[in-house]
Amino acid sequence: MAVLEKDSMLSLADYAVSYALQKGASEVEVYLYEGHSTNVGIERGQVTKSNKILDQGLGIRVIVRKAIGFAYTNAIENKNTINDAIASALSAAKASKPDKNWKDFPEKSSYGLVEKTYDRKIIKLQSKDLVSLAYEMLDAAITVEKNVLPIEGGVSTAFFLNGIANSNGVRAFDKGTYIECSLAAAVKKKNTITPVCFEFNAERTYNINPKWVGKEAARLALSALNTKRIETRTTNLILTQFALQSLLSNTLINSVKADNVQRNQSPFRDKIGEKIGSDLLTIQDDGLLAGGLGTAPFDGEGVPQQKTNIIKKGILKNFLYDNYTAKKEGKESTGNASRAGYLSTPNIGTTNFRIIPGSQTPEQLIEEVDDGLLIYYLQGAHSSNPVSGEFSVVATPAWRIKNGEITHSTRGIMLSGNIFEVLKNVSLVANNERKLGSIISPWILVKNVRIIGK
Amino acid sequence: MIFTKKNFRCIILLNYKFFSNEIRYCSLILNNLIKMILFFCYTHILYRVKGRLYLKDILTKINRLAVDNFSAEYSEVRAQKLKKTLLTLKEGRVEAAKQGIESGVALRVLVNGAWGFSSVGSFNLQILKTAVSEACSMAKALSKRMKNPIKLADTKVINDKISVDPKKNPATITMEEKIKTSLAINQSSLSYDKRIKSCTIDYLDLFGTNYYSTSEGTFIEQDKLYVWSRITSSAFSNGTFSFSREEIGSTAGYEVFDKQPPDVIGEQVAKRAVTQLDAKPVKGGKFSVVLGPNVVGVFVHEAFGHLAEADLALSGGVLSNRIGKRIGSKVVNLYDDGTVKDAFGSFKYDDEGVPSQKTLLVKDGIVEGLMHNRETAQKFNMPPTGNSRGESFRVEPIIRMRNTYMAPKDQSFDELLEDVTSGYYMKSFRGGQANLDGTFQVGVQEAYEIVDGKIGAPVRNVSISGNTLETLLKIDAVGKDFELWPGRCGKGQTAFVCDGGPHIRIKEVIVGGSA
Repeated sequence: MAVLEKDSMLSLADYAVSYALQKGASEVEVYLYEGHSTNVGIERGQVTKSNKILDQGLGIRVIVRKAIGFAYTNAIENKNTINDAIASALSAAKASKPDKNWKDFPEKSSYGLVEKTYDRKIIKLQSKDLVSLAYEMLDAAITVEKNVLPIEGGVSTAFFLNGIANSNGVRAFDKGTYIECSLAAAVKKKNTITPVCFEFNAERTYNINPKWVGKEAARLALSALNTKRIETRTTNLILTQFALQSLLSNTLINSVKADNVQRNQSPFRDKIGEKIGSDLLTIQDDGLLAGGLGTAPFDGEGVPQQKTNIIKKGILKNFLYDNYTAKKEGKESTGNASRAGYLSTPNIGTTNFRIIPGSQTPEQLIEEVDDGLLIYYLQGAHSSNPVSGEFSVVATPAWRIKNGEITHSTRGIMLSGNIFEVLKNVSLVANNERKLGSIISPWILVKNVRIIGK
Repeated sequence: MIFTKKNFRCIILLNYKFFSNEIRYCSLILNNLIKMILFFCYTHILYRVKGRLYLKDILTKINRLAVDNFSAEYSEVRAQKLKKTLLTLKEGRVEAAKQGIESGVALRVLVNGAWGFSSVGSFNLQILKTAVSEACSMAKALSKRMKNPIKLADTKVINDKISVDPKKNPATITMEEKIKTSLAINQSSLSYDKRIKSCTIDYLDLFGTNYYSTSEGTFIEQDKLYVWSRITSSAFSNGTFSFSREEIGSTAGYEVFDKQPPDVIGEQVAKRAVTQLDAKPVKGGKFSVVLGPNVVGVFVHEAFGHLAEADLALSGGVLSNRIGKRIGSKVVNLYDDGTVKDAFGSFKYDDEGVPSQKTLLVKDGIVEGLMHNRETAQKFNMPPTGNSRGESFRVEPIIRMRNTYMAPKDQSFDELLEDVTSGYYMKSFRGGQANLDGTFQVGVQEAYEIVDGKIGAPVRNVSISGNTLETLLKIDAVGKDFELWPGRCGKGQTAFVCDGGPHIRIKEVIVGGSA
C-alpha cells in the first residue's frame, strides 16, 4: 500500500466530503490516518519477536438534520469502499436522533508550526537497528545486576500521517514520528521475586537512551528486593511521574473536561476562579510544546492546538473543550478533540498536560521528608472514582524515607484518599520535569495522606 | 508489566466487510419485508462462498511462500472480515451512531526460532507477499542473537467451519431498534431518582468471520459475534458525588437484552449510585470479608488468573515453581473455561487453531495447570490449552484468560456472614490489577459493613489488596451459588472475558480506606 502523502491524502478527503454532500449530508467531516510502525519485542531476556504494522483508514462524520452519523473503513484503496462508508455514516445519522445543541463543524483556521515532532532519522531505522538498540538496553540492565529478569519490553518506531477536511472549510495535514524503548524488569533471588519495575523513553525525535532505560529498570528492581513492611499511618508522599500519571489520568483530568463539567459530573462545576489547590500548583495543557507526545498543529477536528491554563497558583482557570462543548457555551474550542485513529469520533482529551516544575532538586525533596514514602508505581488507579476523585490503590514497590534518606523498599502499601485533597496538600514541587505519555510533570511532595500498611 | 481488568475507553475493533453490502441493499427495499429477507439470504450465501474460496487460496499461497522461499519453519495467516456498530448516548442524546467495516490480515512466521509478524489492511496478493517476505527477513535477522530458539508444541491439524446461530442476529436489527434499547436503559436510569445527574450508555456489536490457515495444513473458518454494553450513572447530592457502572456482554445475539431487560439494568445502575451517596468512608486495615460473585470473579482473575498465564509464570511469576503444590485452602477450585455457552469469553478455536477447553487450574487448593499457547506448552512439556488470542489482525496472539471462575461448594450466604463480627461485604467491583510478585488490587464500587453477622451500612471508596500466596490460603468458606460476569481484560491488548464464582469468605485481607 502506497504511502498517502499530503496531496493524495487531502484529495481523497476532498472527494469524500463532496460525495457525502452530494448524497444528502448537510455537513461532513473526513479524517484520514496512516501509520507505519516497526517493533522488536523482548521476552525473558532476549529479543524474540519483531513486527511491522501498516494501518490506514478513513473515518467520516456526517450531519443530517442535526443528527450525527459516523462510519469508518480501513479499506481505502478504491472509492467503492469509501462510498460504502459514506452511505453507512448517512444511514447511521438517519437512524439517529437530532441533537438540538449541534451548531456546526469547526471553521477554517491557520495553523502554527510545531517543533521536534518529525524526524527523518526515525523513519530510516530498520528492524535490525531496533534489535541492536534492544540489546544495548538488555546488556546495560545486566551490568547493574546479573540476576535481573528482563521480563518484557522492546523498541518501537512509528511514522504517521493524518489529514482532516470538512464542509466548513477546514483542510489540514500533518505528519509525525515517534520512537520508544522500554523495559520491565524484576529481580529474583531464592524464592523472592520483586514487583515489576518499569522504565522507558518515548520521544518524537531520535533522542532515546536505551542504556539508561536498561540500567534504571534494573536498579529500581534491585532496590526493591530487600523489603520491610511498614505500619498504617498518615504520612508524606513523594509522587514520582509514574504515580502522578496513573492517578491524574483517572481522576483530575476527567474533572477538567468540559463535557463532564457540563453534564454535572465534575466537582469543578462553578469553580472557575476559585482556589482548588496549593499555591505551588500550576497546570497547563500545552498542545504546541516542542517535542511533546501530544503535540500537533491541529486537533482531531482540525482546530489549532494551543496552550491552555488549567490551574494557576492553585486557582482553577479553564476547562478543556472540543468544538461541540465550546459552541454549546458560546466559547472557542481549546483544541482538545482527540481521536483513537480513524476508528472513533473525537472525544475531549489532553494534549501535553503539564505540571509546571518548581525549583528544588528531587534530592532536596527527599531531604525535606522526615517520615514518608517515595511512590513510583500504583496498582489499581483505573479503579478510582472518575467523578468524585476518590482513589484506593496499592503502591508496589515504594521506598521508605526516614530523616531525609531512602532507607528501604516496601510493598503492598495501600493509599486511599481524594485527588482534590491531594492537590491542596502539595507542599513542594521539584524541578525534574519528565514526559510520561500525555502527562508532563516533576516529582511532587504531598503531606498528610492515609496509608494502610501491615 | 501490570495487567488490568477495567472499564476501558477503547473498544475492540473487529468488523465484517461483506455485510455492509447487505445493509445497503436492505435499505433500498425496506418496504418489502419478504423480498428483503430473501435478498438478504441470497447475498449472504453468495458472498460467503465466494469470499471463502478466494481467501483460502490466497492464505495457503502465502504460507507456502514463507516455508518454501523464505525458510520459515512455521507460518500462519489470520484474516478477518468484520463489521461493528457502536453507539454512545448521554442523557438521552445520541452522541454518535457509528458503523465500521474492517478487514485485514495478520501474518506470523517462525524463522530459526524467532517470530516475525506483519499486519496489513488488505487482501491483495502482492501486498501480502511483500508483507510475508518482510516478516521472514525480520525474524531471520533477530534469530542470530537468540540463545533459546522458540519451538511450538504439536497440535492437531484441523479443517473446520464454525457458524453462529443467534436467535436475534444484530446484523438484522436496525440501528433505530438498537438506539431504542439504549434509550430505554438511559431513561430508566435517569428517571430512577432526581439525584441522578448523568447517564452514559455505550453499545457495541460486532460480527463477522476469522479465517485461519497454517503451513501445517490447518484451515478454520470461524464466525465471531459479540454484543456488549456499558452503562454508567453519576449522582450528586449535598456536595457528594457518586458513580456506578454495569456491563453486559455475550457471544449469543441481541437476545441478551431479553435476559437483562433495559429497564432493569438502568435502574440497577442508578440505584447503586444513589445508595453510594450516603455511604461513608471505610476504616482501612485487616478485616474479614465476604465477596460477592462479581468481586470473586475479579479477585480470581487478578489474584490468580494472570499468574497462571504461562508466559507470566515463565517470566518469574510466583506460580512458576508451584505446579503440584498447595497455594490455596482446600475449598479453592479454579477453572478457566472457554466452552461456557454464550459467555463473553467463549470460542471454539483459539488464534493458534487449538480447540478451546475447560482447563482445571487449581484443585482443592493445589495448582494443577497453567494456561498455555503452543510456545509455552512446548517449554512446560504440556498440551496447549487454547488460550492464545489476538485482539485484531493488527496484533500478535498472546495468552489470555477466557471465562475464569471459582467452583461453588456448600455454604449459604447467611452461613458465610454469620461468623463475621466486624468486616465488609464487597458486592460489585470497579477494576482490578495484578503484579508478577503476587500483589493484587481489586477496587470495589459497592460494599457494606458486616456487623455481628448482619449486612450493615454502605461504605465507599474501598479496595482490597494482598498477596496471592497468602490470600488464597485464607479463603475459609465457599458458597453454593454461582454467577459469571462479563468484562474486558487489558494486557497490552484487550480481550473479552468472563469471571465469577459463588460468594466466598476470606478470613483476613487488607482493606484500603481513608477514614
